[in-house]
Amino acid sequence: MSDKDRYESAYENQWCPGCGNFGILGAMKDALAQLNIPPEKLLIVSGIGQAAKTPHFLKCNFLHGIHGRALSIALGAKLANHDLNILVNSGDGDCYGEGGNHFIHAARRNTDMTLLVHNNQIYGLTKGQASPTSAWGMTTAMQPGGVISEPLNGPALALTMGAGFVARGFSGNKEHLSGLIQAAVQYKGFSVIDIFQPCVTFNRVNTAQWYKDRIYELDETKDRDDFGTAMTLARETGDRIPVGILYTKEKKEFISQIKGLEKGPLIDRHYDPDRLEKVVQEYI
Amino acid sequence: MDITILIGGAAGQGIQTIGTLLSAACCKAGYFAMAVNDFESRVRGGHSFFKIRISNAPVYASRESVDLLIALDKNTWEIHSPSLRDNSVVLADEDFSSSGRIVPLAFEQLAKETGSNLFINTVAAAAGLRVLGAGPATVQSTIKDHFSGLKEDLLEKNLDAAQKGFEKVADVLFEEQPLAHPSVPKGNLISGAKAIALGAAAADCRIGAFYPMSPATSIMQHLTDLSKRLDIVVEQAEDEIAAANIVIGASFAGARAMTATSGGGFCLMTEALGLAGMTETPMVIVNAMRPGPSTGLPTRTAQGDLRFAIHASHDDFPRFVFAPGTPTQAFEQTRKAFYLSEKYQVPAIILADQYLLDSLFLLEKPFFIDKHVERFIVTDDDMPDPGGYERFAVTDSGISPRALPCKGKALVKVSSDEHRPDGHITEDIAIRNTMMEKRRAKLPAMIEELDGPETVSPDAHTLLIGWGSSAGAIKEATDLLRDQGADIGCLLFSQIWPFPATAAEKMLKNNPDTQFIAVEMNAEAQFAGILKENTNINFSGYVLKYDGRPFTAQFIVDALKEKELA
Repeated sequence: MSDKDRYESAYENQWCPGCGNFGILGAMKDALAQLNIPPEKLLIVSGIGQAAKTPHFLKCNFLHGIHGRALSIALGAKLANHDLNILVNSGDGDCYGEGGNHFIHAARRNTDMTLLVHNNQIYGLTKGQASPTSAWGMTTAMQPGGVISEPLNGPALALTMGAGFVARGFSGNKEHLSGLIQAAVQYKGFSVIDIFQPCVTFNRVNTAQWYKDRIYELDETKDRDDFGTAMTLARETGDRIPVGILYTKEKKEFISQIKGLEKGPLIDRHYDPDRLEKVVQEYI
Repeated sequence: MDITILIGGAAGQGIQTIGTLLSAACCKAGYFAMAVNDFESRVRGGHSFFKIRISNAPVYASRESVDLLIALDKNTWEIHSPSLRDNSVVLADEDFSSSGRIVPLAFEQLAKETGSNLFINTVAAAAGLRVLGAGPATVQSTIKDHFSGLKEDLLEKNLDAAQKGFEKVADVLFEEQPLAHPSVPKGNLISGAKAIALGAAAADCRIGAFYPMSPATSIMQHLTDLSKRLDIVVEQAEDEIAAANIVIGASFAGARAMTATSGGGFCLMTEALGLAGMTETPMVIVNAMRPGPSTGLPTRTAQGDLRFAIHASHDDFPRFVFAPGTPTQAFEQTRKAFYLSEKYQVPAIILADQYLLDSLFLLEKPFFIDKHVERFIVTDDDMPDPGGYERFAVTDSGISPRALPCKGKALVKVSSDEHRPDGHITEDIAIRNTMMEKRRAKLPAMIEELDGPETVSPDAHTLLIGWGSSAGAIKEATDLLRDQGADIGCLLFSQIWPFPATAAEKMLKNNPDTQFIAVEMNAEAQFAGILKENTNINFSGYVLKYDGRPFTAQFIVDALKEKELA
């Protein structure tokens, strides 16, 4: 069954016409249909920003929370009910700026969930300031002399923090992106896809054409379990930018290491007054 | 009998072990006891002390004067000798002065004879036990009980050290000999931190998330200990922001969850508090108050975060605030916080403090465990049309049916932006107003859930008004002054917000001539201000303290007399 219509949301889309987010939304619907995850079995958690509005435009359960905190909320939900299929939609500012600390620790924890970073290298919702991924020298109204910090490299950071599935995608290549999302969701652990996505309103540098001129697809038949190669690929952000799975390796998943969760999701346990009474008495 | 024992020394000398041992022995011998733990924010050195009060009658606060001083260093003698009475006994590691009441006891040397100066605490504890009237068998059994987890050879060495301490104080006569006259134990000693963790467990809390911060960490340590035997998972988050959001995520998915922090951490959590308010997600936060602003006095106590707790985060939304005064209240109000937070889908804050959390109190009645925990969650079966489920459906009570994500056909859609009943973002003026009114519609029922203050002689001419953990000292001060003939009573609040105005006003308006005096551990009489806003009563005076050390009854009595208020 691959009926994409079942993910259609009746809620009016609020993105600008031509926004790169549409490609990501389409790829998500396609991937979810391919994976046969029905809307009622899907939880999307997001922060703040245009990327974070994604779940409104897709039929699903969602918690559209606050700036940068989506990964923490997703972790809490997963601890409570580890049967949940969780996708997190975040932007470059949301994930790497406001939520930078949580991103680092999410990669360390390796909780089974998929993070899609909509990376347009600019702050869109707040109308055009530099983001953590904006290139050095990029000028904006708020950075009139140009950005003077190095851009943050999400995939490289995720790799150094121990993430077991790191990919880079491009919203302009929906089919390829759908494949990446499917692989990421199927990965048992924390999977992250940094997705380049043109901001048609505020980013005059990294346009769709700019990306198209540089992006090339990695050979999917190759094993990508070598850290050194992955780092080299992750740092290839100049004239040629690889998209595809940069690294995938089996790692110890977070939930599976928590002894108390072996018996199944916490929310399915029944309150047991007798056991509680005994434990309380002995503990005092 | 009402005696106070003070054990002092440098951090790392085992002050707490000695204190815990002595207080446990007195408790086991059938006495009432309470103990405060006073320490600096450092791991080694400095000055720490543990002060135990032992009495035939219930005690809820510490006293100023000291009857038995165990000084492991000279510093302790210098700081605490002014608190000694004429008949007090001092066990000291050195002969600090020519004072006849000092019993020189070479703790360190005796410990080294046993093998290591690590045994100082055992030597001192055994000496203390004997001075309090314990025989050799009691000393041995107390040491054995306390060190039951140790390896055989280490236990032997501790017993040896105890024997040395015991023998050295053979001739010391202490006027009270509580351990020589044991009776039936009145209960167990328990800290406020343990009581809160147990209250959470009793509320069926499943998830704890935290970032370490004194004095809240001990709550999460107890919850972690309990997680070994109950369906609880505790996660140490990367910061307080993450901890609070983990709680919201867990609660959203259906598990009762909590976090505990102190003022500085609570600052970071206020963003999440607003998220819980807007998304109507239950969450329980313990704010373990300590003096501020900023890092303040990390290991000291205060009641300075009341206004902050009530107003934290932007714009208006309903929340509960509790301020338990005893371990029993801490247990019951923690359980109540979880219950009410879930019932009304609002955050609940428990204001504890270092004094409540780190002190030991005698628990006379066992905690009551519910046979059934009521949940407030709906499933597809409860809905005529699960496909049309609306998480924020408008109701008269303001409470919308709460379904869990991925548990049925009903899709749960939640947004931190203002939203329509179906959870999608909106900027529509009418819906904004409706949603704001829906959330606030819960307030009248929420107020009715809260109990009014505990009272002592509420018809008296002068009424002391207090809240939270100062209750013990205020009650004792009231008793002391009544014994001296003063027409005084007290009102002690522990269920603070939304302000239980109806319950409070009944007690406050008894007599138009009543003189109200606020007794609080903050500089601006925060609770008095809240009371004035909500009841129009006026205060005649204030007893305020913000030095980080807890109230004693004597302090309150002296302050009232100095201000000619009693």
